[in-house]
Amino acid sequence: MLSCKELVANSSDLLDSQLSLRQRLAVQMHLAMCYRCRRFIKQMRLSQRVLRALPDAAIPELEELAARLAEEVRTRR
Amino acid sequence: MDYPADSALLARLLAGEEKAFRELVATYQGAMRAVAFAIVGSRNADEVVQDAWLAVVRNLKGFQGRSSLKTWLLTITANTAKTRLKHNRREVLLDDLPGPHGTVGEKRFADDGHWLREPFAWHQDTPEALLTEEELRECLEKTLTSLSELQGSVLLLRERQGLELEEICNLLQISLSNVRVLLHRARLKVFATLEHFEETGQC
Ligand SMILES: [Zn+2]
Repeated sequence: MLSCKELVANSSDLLDSQLSLRQRLAVQMHLAMCYRCRRFIKQMRLSQRVLRALPDAAIPELEELAARLAEEVRTRR
Repeated sequence: MDYPADSALLARLLAGEEKAFRELVATYQGAMRAVAFAIVGSRNADEVVQDAWLAVVRNLKGFQGRSSLKTWLLTITANTAKTRLKHNRREVLLDDLPGPHGTVGEKRFADDGHWLREPFAWHQDTPEALLTEEELRECLEKTLTSLSELQGSVLLLRERQGLELEEICNLLQISLSNVRVLLHRARLKVFATLEHFEETGQC
């Protein structure tokens, strides 16, 4: 039987579908019985979504860079 | 070409349309920067990205669309960074500095591996609701900057840019097991930051 600590150690591999079938079954069995680890995995998934939702850093030189690259392509034709 | 969205953009890029380049830079510069950051570090990353863009423009006509535009751009960036690095190949450092806020380390578990202090149930269950807290955004920013260059880049490429683990291995030339370790530890720090804030209301 997988312990909570082992489940946490395997959690990223679960999120990335890197577990073997046997490991996946052990994880699923543990999750079926342990609300603490269910909560942990649920909140791990939420953390992933939080990272995705963070705003992009502004690119200060965007206009100049785009202009320079476009110019470069036009002169190369 | 197997990537129709790319081929429409490519035609405009080849025509030298400035707006198309603005879209290209805005879409991909973040991922390119993360790749450069992971390979050459923060000091030289911006220069590598600049050089990579010039290489992109030089090779644009030869782009065959056998890969996605994104994969092509990131491969050019990684190659540019590796050239810069020459033979001073840095070691992959797996040393893990503690995150600044909270932890999901050893101390959270009893000797038998059960939770000693169970995960705190967060008050919010959407990213939008969590991120309305200005202070939490700042906490997260601090946690992300506390990550090593490599660890931060791996996290960003996976979670924000949606790259497959294999792509990250190939671009950064690190093993799959190292990518998994770096990613896992980074995720735990992000989790701990959110948990700590939800529990205490502060960083
Ligand atoms: Zn458990």
